[in-house]
Amino acid sequence: MPKKKIATVWLGGCSGCHMSLLDIDERILDVAQLADIVKCPIVDGKELPEVDITLVEGSVTSDEHLREILHIRAQSKTVIAMGDCAVTSNITGMRNYFNLKEVFDTAYVNAISNDTEGKVPNHIALLKLHEKVVPLQEVITVDFVIPGCPPNADTIFYVLYEFLNDRIPNLSEAKKLKYG
Amino acid sequence: MNTIKITINDTVYDIAINTTILEACKEVGIEVLTICHLEGVSNVGACRLCLVEVEGINKLLPACTTKVAANMVIRTQTEKIKKYQRITTELFFAERNHVCSVCVANGKCELQKLGYKVGMDHIRYPYLFPSCEVDTSHAWFVLDHNRCIMCTRCVRTCAEIEGAFNWDVMNRGNQVRIISDFNTPWGQSTTCTSCGKCLHACPTGAIWPKAIVQGQLEKKPEILKELVEKRKMNL
Ligand code: SF4
Ligand code: SF4
Ligand code: SF4
Ligand code: FES
Repeated sequence: MPKKKIATVWLGGCSGCHMSLLDIDERILDVAQLADIVKCPIVDGKELPEVDITLVEGSVTSDEHLREILHIRAQSKTVIAMGDCAVTSNITGMRNYFNLKEVFDTAYVNAISNDTEGKVPNHIALLKLHEKVVPLQEVITVDFVIPGCPPNADTIFYVLYEFLNDRIPNLSEAKKLKYG
Repeated sequence: MNTIKITINDTVYDIAINTTILEACKEVGIEVLTICHLEGVSNVGACRLCLVEVEGINKLLPACTTKVAANMVIRTQTEKIKKYQRITTELFFAERNHVCSVCVANGKCELQKLGYKVGMDHIRYPYLFPSCEVDTSHAWFVLDHNRCIMCTRCVRTCAEIEGAFNWDVMNRGNQVRIISDFNTPWGQSTTCTSCGKCLHACPTGAIWPKAIVQGQLEKKPEILKELVEKRKMNL
């Protein structure tokens, strides 16, 4: 079997899912035998090349995330939503109960700060937050989901390893499913 | 005891008359998913998880509110039922805001367990993200509407076991809400005795004591049935 290419991407999430991914520990060597990790959040900002599998952490919160996830979809044979934020929007989606202005005001204007001006930053280089945070499935077709905040390392490894061996994983057993 | 013959999943059983399909299934060891059913209070058939197929009737019937009848042929595990159970569960999650990772009930929640049981890995419906209130006005307890699934177990427990009638239901559709007295803050209730029974009745993180933090909730709904049984013994 030729080596596969995998990527991991971090959108609107806390990086906790990537921490859990790292918790697969020495099993990363099993992954490395079957695949090259061609992109992850700690490599430089190269564009995502064509890959077999992309693990996506986090939800779509902004114009930048939207552009990124559409590109990821175009470049990846299999997109896996990793973690509750990617699957349900989870904690990142909690700002959806408020309108965007309230959210900005809470963070920048009304928050206690030594910046007395209380201005909302709007530099051209900054991403533009969307009014609502959405999970991946609302903007692209997702091939597989791993719920959990974060999912267990064992579950992440299981799913990845099955895909690397051209098998479809099965999370229906209760012991592998986890929310929160 | 008067019994009748019924068939559940291709096996014939003798079941006492006046038994619900749910009780009959329990008696013979067949698991039926439920969430609005609570041992010790009446059944209302609100959640539709316990739907079963009955031969000759072309709609699904709730096992908790349907009595067995002679020669009934019941099926509890068909593909159709499983499909509906999954849909129902997903709608519970999509309607209000269930963020398990920051919920007091995380790991101890009947709704979560239900999701695992029906194999729910994601929700196929768009989330409504309603803006829901959290009533913290009671000295010891919290009512978080974000997590409420309108099973009305609290309403029935408060009325039927405690006899206080603090809880009720207002509005319809997705505007439906549990209310304390006449929709006033729980802390101002003139009927609530602060007995805490609703807290144990509630299957989710919608009612909980202030003295706990995320994931620390312990609910013991079985004590409600025990209480009801013990009261009967004293009569
Ligand atoms: S699912 Fe949880 S751990 Fe993963 S990015 Fe979201 S908040 Fe962080
Ligand atoms: S009530 Fe249950 S399902 Fe809802 S957020 Fe809390 S733990 Fe999750
Ligand atoms: S507060 Fe709890 S017990 Fe009451 S209706 Fe809501 S989910 Fe059910
Ligand atoms: S348990 Fe029967 S309808 Fe809810």
